[in-house]
Amino acid sequence: MSQPGDPRDPEALRKGLEEWERQTLAPALEREGERLPAFETQALHWPVERLYTPLDLEAAGFDYLKDVGFPGQFPYTRGTRPNGYRSQLWAMKQVTGFGTPEEWAKRAQYMLDQGLSGFFIEYDLPTTNGFDSDHPLAAGEVGRAGVAVDTLADMEAALDFDFSKLRHLTSVCNGPQPVNLAMIIAALEKKGVDPASFTLQMPNAILIEYTCVGRYIFPPEHGLRISTDVIEYTIRNHPNWVPISVISAQLYAARANPVQELAFGFSIAMQYLDAVLARGFTIDEVAPYFSFVTGVDMDFFEAVGKLRAYRKVWARLMKDRYGAKTREALELRITASPGTMSLTLQQPLNNITRLAIQMLACALGGGGYTMTTPLHDEAHALPSDEAIAVGAGVQKIVAHESGVADTIDPLAGSYYVEVMTKRIEDAVFAEIEKIDRMGGALAAIRTGYFQRELAREQCERNRALDTGKRKLVGVNDVERRSDEESLEIFRVDPESERRQIERLRAVKARRDEAKVAEALERVREAAEGDENLVPPILEAVKLYASQGEICDVLREAFGTYMPDSLTTGV
Amino acid sequence: MNAAAVSERPIRVLLAKLGLDAHTIGVTVIARALRDAGMEVIYSGLKQTPEMVAATAIQEDVDVVGLSSLSAAHMQHFPRVVELLREQGADDKLVIAGGVIPAEDAQRLRDAGVAAIFTMGTSTDEIVAFLRQWAASR
Repeated sequence: MSQPGDPRDPEALRKGLEEWERQTLAPALEREGERLPAFETQALHWPVERLYTPLDLEAAGFDYLKDVGFPGQFPYTRGTRPNGYRSQLWAMKQVTGFGTPEEWAKRAQYMLDQGLSGFFIEYDLPTTNGFDSDHPLAAGEVGRAGVAVDTLADMEAALDFDFSKLRHLTSVCNGPQPVNLAMIIAALEKKGVDPASFTLQMPNAILIEYTCVGRYIFPPEHGLRISTDVIEYTIRNHPNWVPISVISAQLYAARANPVQELAFGFSIAMQYLDAVLARGFTIDEVAPYFSFVTGVDMDFFEAVGKLRAYRKVWARLMKDRYGAKTREALELRITASPGTMSLTLQQPLNNITRLAIQMLACALGGGGYTMTTPLHDEAHALPSDEAIAVGAGVQKIVAHESGVADTIDPLAGSYYVEVMTKRIEDAVFAEIEKIDRMGGALAAIRTGYFQRELAREQCERNRALDTGKRKLVGVNDVERRSDEESLEIFRVDPESERRQIERLRAVKARRDEAKVAEALERVREAAEGDENLVPPILEAVKLYASQGEICDVLREAFGTYMPDSLTTGV
Repeated sequence: MNAAAVSERPIRVLLAKLGLDAHTIGVTVIARALRDAGMEVIYSGLKQTPEMVAATAIQEDVDVVGLSSLSAAHMQHFPRVVELLREQGADDKLVIAGGVIPAEDAQRLRDAGVAAIFTMGTSTDEIVAFLRQWAASR
């Protein structure tokens, strides 16, 4: 006989729930009321019910085998790894990068010595915008937000660390990604490092930059073409590398809610998939090369639901829309990291706590292959050595001390988590359909749809903080403090900029100008035709053509992009 | 123009992103908040030089120039904007700034003529109130 609460008997359950509401809950509510007039999730503003039971799963049309299944099996809700984190933990990475190439190489070695198996290289703004360090717009930015790489000489210096411990390297240089790829290939060749000894991951999903971030150079359709060149070249020449990584974390950082993040990110990914398929690959050949990077916010259950839905939506898109058949195509490759956008400038040590909670959500949501931690003082300035060590500690504590990595997908079956996962999944499919009707991601960028949606979310979130509807500890729960925080702020040596420019001039002075000019001419011919851009760029890079020079040739061929008032979202 | 007509004119604000920094959330949120508060807002777009910003400020006859930077190049560009406005006889324009600006830099910017620095966590109401008060006292 079934008891109240037995999910096999919804009637008994309904009866039990009614009894609880009447006999137990009602008197308590009478006495104590509730803290808030309404409870809602942080980013999606979905109502949060008082209690979730199997009845909610029933109402959502939940079917265990169809919606959850088993680890390593379609639809991968419980993770893509058949044995979760019991065989291998996630790879631990951190985002960092600053200063001159030599300073970066030292920092990279330090991170490897801290036990991190890989990291992101972030470049400075001139580099990611395709300008050399001596360009007028570069003034004051050289080596500040990341490492400065003008020529192959810089990349050789930046990669001057011990590769034997390195498993993953993510090189974040969206705008001029073909130039960046060429520099890495050429530098590895000179160092004698086997390119197959580690995985190079490139974001190379420039379309995201038009919706937020803004490190675009060329009009979007040309951005799409150069990204596609990088994907095609990498698949054919470095089959163990990951030539496209849709950093939906950037959308999240621009305040996309989880549904927007997944729908916009997947729509952008599909724009690339279609472009690569048009070059003669099959879906099962190319899908495994696509990877994603996400960030999670402070709403723990939205975060976990998002990560679980992420894998499901990808698997279903690949299977139903593209007819993918192999496991490698259906499995989502994702890096999940705590989000820098929830870090606060005020009371910065609290950011360590935020990172720990978010890291826990990443681990429980099944971040997939790798996870990264930002650093607790990232809201302030670039990370100090101490902050890097603390960031690494957060990952290790979650991995080794919390026990969450010891059983597979331990939150599965939570009524709330399963309802959240399914609701996010359904809403993402609805939003993807909406974007399809607009003509896909490129069209949604051209008309400013993504940008305006994000601007609206940004203003709403800000309003929620201003009015105190959303609490942020140290920000809107206390009287504002003066800016006298005792935090150690990392500052870039101003001499770096001068030295970097000198180095660029020295490199240019000793190269063969005639050969450089010839090589740049070949880049131009490729850009004006439809030949893959990577081989001629690689030749130019080997002759020490600077990335600014190569990008200038591409600017002449493609034009540059400046959004109008509609497409800025402002 | 008489005094009444001057005070009735909405406050005109140019919001500008200088250099290569492309963090636009702050500028977007403030643009919308100022507009909601009845001000006229012009947004420069990305990748502006101090020369471009000063020229736009003068050409658009704005009352306020709001400079945004989150990439740490504020010391490079902000004082230069103030200087250019001064050189071109437009130092009646109020220059304010926002972004990730450490306290010691904020002081140096104030010394250089930036009227107010709004760092992360400042409410938009605070900025609106500041501008209204400034306009009323002008």
